[in-house]
Amino acid sequence: MIGQFIAATFGTIAFSLLFSVPKRYYPWCGLVGGTGWLFYLIFSKYAGIVISCFIATCVVVYLSRHLATRMSCPVTIFLLSGIFPLVPGAGIYWTAYYTIMEQYSLATAKGFETFKIGVAIVLGITFVFELPQEFFKRRTTKRDQV
Amino acid sequence: MEGNEGLDAAALAGRILLQNGAEIFRVEETIERIAKSYGLEGNSSFVLSSGIFITEEKDDKHFYANVKHIPLSTAHLDKVAAVNQLSREIETGKYTPGEAIEELHKIQNMPENPKVAQVIAAGVGSGCFAYLFGGSIFDSLTAFLVGGLLWVFLGIMSRRKKRMTKIMLNLSGGMFSTTLSILAYRLGMGDNLNHIIIGSIIPLVPGVAFTNAIRDISNEDYISGIVRLVDALLIAFCIALGVGIVITVYHKVMGGIG
Repeated sequence: MIGQFIAATFGTIAFSLLFSVPKRYYPWCGLVGGTGWLFYLIFSKYAGIVISCFIATCVVVYLSRHLATRMSCPVTIFLLSGIFPLVPGAGIYWTAYYTIMEQYSLATAKGFETFKIGVAIVLGITFVFELPQEFFKRRTTKRDQV
Repeated sequence: MEGNEGLDAAALAGRILLQNGAEIFRVEETIERIAKSYGLEGNSSFVLSSGIFITEEKDDKHFYANVKHIPLSTAHLDKVAAVNQLSREIETGKYTPGEAIEELHKIQNMPENPKVAQVIAAGVGSGCFAYLFGGSIFDSLTAFLVGGLLWVFLGIMSRRKKRMTKIMLNLSGGMFSTTLSILAYRLGMGDNLNHIIIGSIIPLVPGVAFTNAIRDISNEDYISGIVRLVDALLIAFCIALGVGIVITVYHKVMGGIG
């Protein structure tokens, strides 16, 4: 579990470098990505992949908005990097792989799962962005900026 | 023509934001904020994922119009953050329009991360994700190598004289990673070919386009959202196709993943 958290953190930091995130935000991006993945791992033991992905997305978006408000910078910085581990890159691969192997039932299952994960991420992002900005302001003293 | 310069600044700021991975509503908001702080109240802007249209009217007369085509490109979030910061400072009256444009040009020319750092980051990203998706340490070391080389490949391809289309770039990227992964696996590096390939294609995965598409759609910027979503899905499809072509050939020639 700790190994996974570290891998997710450093993976996220690597991608924030590729997205040219300013250097001072690297640790925070890593933290967002790592925490999101941790929630995904914990909940996937009890709740299935799609629901845990939804919960993890909510955590990532919440943390991103919180950090953006606290540090007065665009929320995009934390969100784009932090959500990266959850984007179903592996799903794309398995769908293609099973299709080629002519294992169509597995391919369909993986394809649908990838699609459902996509929808879970959509819902997570949409829900947490519905929270009013004041909700984040109250917890911080600095001025808001999202 | 003080007003024109203020609007030029607003248009340029919008352009930098849009080019570097900002959401549509942020672009519109920034343009409006900059225009307003230069006292231009009759301003209206219309932003799509591929273009910005700005007009300004005063006393029922149009006196400014600006249409810019902006191609989809990669994210540079440092520029988004810098423009965001600048627009707040403009709001407090810190810059004249001329100075603001100068600052914006500076932001536009901000240096990229050095190529070597990018290659290493792509490798580290690939390695970490190979591990996250169930690979062993050896898988992730191999993915590190392949992911790094993939970034070198992408760099060379996008620098060619005749610009490669996005479809071709991702298709060939997928094929390149898969081929290298198979080679490395055949040479005895790594334990599970699938995990190596998954890790090494991660730098291609359209996470930014996908996330921005969702945000645009949920902000009711449907046209831009759909365009970005199509962009993301097309890239994902191309990667899958690239991987698929190579694996098919591999199976026909070698008789399967051993």
